Amino acid sequence: MKKSILQLLILLMFAAGVYLLVSRVNWMKLFRIEKMTDALEKKLGDIVWSDMEEQSIEKGKDFDRVSSLVASLCKSNGIDSKKIKIHIFSDNEVNAFALPDRHMVVHTGLINSVKSNDELSGVLAHEIAHMELSHVMKKLLKQMGYSLLISITTGEAGGGAIKELLGMLSSTAYDRKLEKDADIKAVEYLKKTGISPNGFADFLYRLGEKDGSLGSLSWISTHPDSKERAKYVRGE
Amino acid sequence: MKTPEIFAYKPTELEAEKASNSYLMSLIAIMVGLPLPIINLLATLFFYIANRKSTYFVRWHCLQALLSQFSLFVLNSMGFWWTVSIIFQEDEHISNPYLAYIITVFIFNIFELGMTISAAIKTRKGQHVSWWFYGSLTQSICKP
Repeated sequence: MKKSILQLLILLMFAAGVYLLVSRVNWMKLFRIEKMTDALEKKLGDIVWSDMEEQSIEKGKDFDRVSSLVASLCKSNGIDSKKIKIHIFSDNEVNAFALPDRHMVVHTGLINSVKSNDELSGVLAHEIAHMELSHVMKKLLKQMGYSLLISITTGEAGGGAIKELLGMLSSTAYDRKLEKDADIKAVEYLKKTGISPNGFADFLYRLGEKDGSLGSLSWISTHPDSKERAKYVRGE
Repeated sequence: MKTPEIFAYKPTELEAEKASNSYLMSLIAIMVGLPLPIINLLATLFFYIANRKSTYFVRWHCLQALLSQFSLFVLNSMGFWWTVSIIFQEDEHISNPYLAYIITVFIFNIFELGMTISAAIKTRKGQHVSWWFYGSLTQSICKP
């Protein structure tokens, strides 16, 4: 039995050695997985945006306000703000979401419901975090799969699949862990910009209370447990 | 990894066939069982149970086949559930450690497949084959 145990240990060490050796190769680069995903994201971004473009309002006061807040968040956190394409939708929906290829949509309903720039910065930082952490593509790949996404970009999938994609991007929540990751990253962005995360927490708390003055609460319906989130954003 | 040894006695034609079949069970299961890793283990386990009262030569090889399948089962199961988590969990995604693990598991499976085919052929000829580690483990568990 002693011999077997010794041989088992050698076998385990050998297996671990093979794994370590194999993992030294950059398979992601070899299989071009990252490049393929980047190209796919760009194409999806173009398709999605061409379908939503008409809802976007002309640049104005709200656009300037959001742009300046995004620019200051990006500058403090070493993010290229020029790559983020900001779009404003004019309606009562309290919503903001990120699309593939760094398109960010903010509804005027959300802009009007925040009480300060700190609150708005919190929401914007959260959406930037989703972009920086590649959550948009992770969600799409998970829910639709590579093949369907590729067929959308080649035009084989048809209008139904594009509709499903648009619905998913604007209304479906990320899973709990990704939301928490984005919140934590957002707090980091806010702090580096010199903005207190308390504004973001206050906004989340108000969403959690389902304040009637906030209108159509899309952002809360896709971001559950706002009160709990407010607590960890405050660092409680 | 594999050493032909002289067994305590010369097995009969029927024993050689049964012992060879214990290795073939895992090969047949590979064809129907993929990607579920438990099928291979179950196939060799059922074959072992069915032959547990058989002659020493047959029991010995059934057990060696079962033990080797068990370690592959552990490796394959980890790969299987890692893949499932990538498909269903948004925070899991294809990464270099994942690809390296799948390739490692693939290498071990191919290696094991080659060893199994070779063992199936040799035992069918009545030759005894004792694998490194699995042979000594089988020897300590399986008594005449």
